[in-house]
Amino acid sequence: MMVNALSCFLRKKVTEDEPVHDVEIERIGSAIKSEINTVFGRSLAIRELDTGSDNAAEIEINNLSNPFYDIERFGITFVASPRHADVLLVTGAVTHNMAIAAKKTYEAMPSPKFVIAVGDEACSGGIFAGTYAVLGGVDTILPVDLKIPGNPPSPKEILAGLLALMKKAQTAGRSPAP
Amino acid sequence: MIPSPDTTRGRVATILGSDIPADLITQGTGGEIYIRVDTPGFSRAVSQLAASQFTLIGLFGVEAFGNNPGTSVLYVFEKQDHLLVLVPEESGPLPSIARIFPTATWFERECRDGFGFEFDDAFDTRRLFLHEPYPDGFHPLKKSFVNAPITPRRNISPADEYPFRKVSGDGVYQVPVGPVHAGIIEPGHFRFSVIGETIFNLEIRMFYKHRGIEKLLEGKVPDTCMPVAEAVSGDESVANATVFCMAAEQIAGVTVPERAWYLRTILLEMERMTSHLGDQGGMLVDVGFPLGANQFFVLREEMMRANDRITGSRFLRGMIRPGGIERDVPEAVISDLAVFLARLKKRYQAGLKIVLSTTSVIDRFATTGVVSRSLILPLALSGPVARASGGTEDTRVQHPYGVYGQYIPAVRSLHDGDVLARFTVKAAEVMASLDLIERLSREMPQGPVLADFSARDGYSLALVESARGENLCWLWIKDGRVERCTFRTASFCNWQAIEHAAQDNIPPDFPVINKSMNLSYAGTDL
Repeated sequence: MMVNALSCFLRKKVTEDEPVHDVEIERIGSAIKSEINTVFGRSLAIRELDTGSDNAAEIEINNLSNPFYDIERFGITFVASPRHADVLLVTGAVTHNMAIAAKKTYEAMPSPKFVIAVGDEACSGGIFAGTYAVLGGVDTILPVDLKIPGNPPSPKEILAGLLALMKKAQTAGRSPAP
Repeated sequence: MIPSPDTTRGRVATILGSDIPADLITQGTGGEIYIRVDTPGFSRAVSQLAASQFTLIGLFGVEAFGNNPGTSVLYVFEKQDHLLVLVPEESGPLPSIARIFPTATWFERECRDGFGFEFDDAFDTRRLFLHEPYPDGFHPLKKSFVNAPITPRRNISPADEYPFRKVSGDGVYQVPVGPVHAGIIEPGHFRFSVIGETIFNLEIRMFYKHRGIEKLLEGKVPDTCMPVAEAVSGDESVANATVFCMAAEQIAGVTVPERAWYLRTILLEMERMTSHLGDQGGMLVDVGFPLGANQFFVLREEMMRANDRITGSRFLRGMIRPGGIERDVPEAVISDLAVFLARLKKRYQAGLKIVLSTTSVIDRFATTGVVSRSLILPLALSGPVARASGGTEDTRVQHPYGVYGQYIPAVRSLHDGDVLARFTVKAAEVMASLDLIERLSREMPQGPVLADFSARDGYSLALVESARGENLCWLWIKDGRVERCTFRTASFCNWQAIEHAAQDNIPPDFPVINKSMNLSYAGTDL
């Protein structure tokens, strides 16, 4: 016990700032940037839509704009209106109470448009699958191009998902409507 | 320590001003007292509780409870450390108490949706969490309904649409906002009635995210309920998991090991800090001050990474479970945390200094979105929202749980009730949490972190102080499984204060008012 306390006292303290520069984020980010430059004419507009999440996924999506990730520098913007959006980022299982608003949001987007389901509930309904209050995952009402599972996925995982979508948008065809 | 029946009966007689037969009074395991009443006795008790300045903090239905084969409605009242639960024994309609206790308005509507239970003389009988897609006569919390997908109504005619309150007059126009908002936030609808630039009236409509949490818990064994309790509201995962476990542990008579309570408390306080840091950053974004906002967003990201190092989850998930915590945290991780937080404290203070010395921020924060002190009692407001408006209550002090009896948090109370007061109260709470964690990590005892937990039948009420205020959980275990579980988060009550806080402000200030109150949509909609 004494030795432990002493070693805590003497051990070199971690005092430097948390490094803002993260090699992996820079790698994913610059890959996204070059994809956006070629596929989306240099800017990708994302509209976020919560169809019944527990708010954890929203927090992580918001975190993408904090100084550690700052994804605007890769050409990604979060837009206020679906009319300006290329991508709909959907969180949460689709509740009956949100289904109509969710469809209207999707319909307001100009084509071509892409849908990403973020988090376990958006992917499949998660713990709410098969219950009275939800229809299920996002693919029960919208054509989903990519699923990013997680409870919730971390900002890095969401970013990696966006890169996967960029690659898919360039090569593959669109998902069929449900 | 359960008081003797005579003491309990004496307390009840003092509060209600009349002697209640001992066989109608039961002392609960969470410090609450259940009192069975007939309908006239219920009305008398409600008047007496209102006169004695009790707050109605919970109201929920439950089927086949006690001697009543139908739906019973339980009314939870609180004043300081007193917790009374009135249990009217008749199964027919009860008189609405919404005129006496305004919080009852949403509670009664919730109960009507869930169980089809009627309240006589209610002035608002609109549906609450069952929006237009739900068919008529559908009541999901009835035991006769087995939880399974339903067929929603597809064609909703204008006549079926939700009737908002009508506000009319010269120059009044409506600004409908939501459910899908411009920013990255949860869905809800705000109906502003505006004259010129000033908000004359605001009506909110929530429950777009109703996910059927309470029904989903039914039939589960307590050990498997944690992912659902954590999903009540993502940023309150620890608080809601803890309040559920407390109820289950009280019923089972399980004593949680001391070290587990130290660790739980550290997690609860880290969750509070993470939440407050996000709010403070958000409030600064909403007044267009990114330099200040990023001070807090950087710290918040670092907090979430620290959360991840301790628990493997940025939201501190997967740790709380009935009987204690899932796994111990190594000493080295705890001492690293203490070093990290000591550094964070200095940078946090530096951030506060920047913000509080910027006149454009103070100008937007001060006198904006005032919540009057007189609303605290009738609307059952709690948390920083109440404490910024002259409230002094904190569940950790009024109903200490775990080690809060030894580690009493400093409660900061301000009187202005505006955005600035809420910002300042949160700043004080972050500092208090830092101090608490520092002491807890220094004084934490060694020992086991998980007691044997096997569910026992019974029911209990538990309360915790989440970042947003007082969260309540009432749990009934029958045959080892959840028979009924209800959550009432602080947001459910605090949301109703925003209708008052927005009045006389301008719509462009609404985002900062909303953010300063930090209301969870998911935690309200369940």
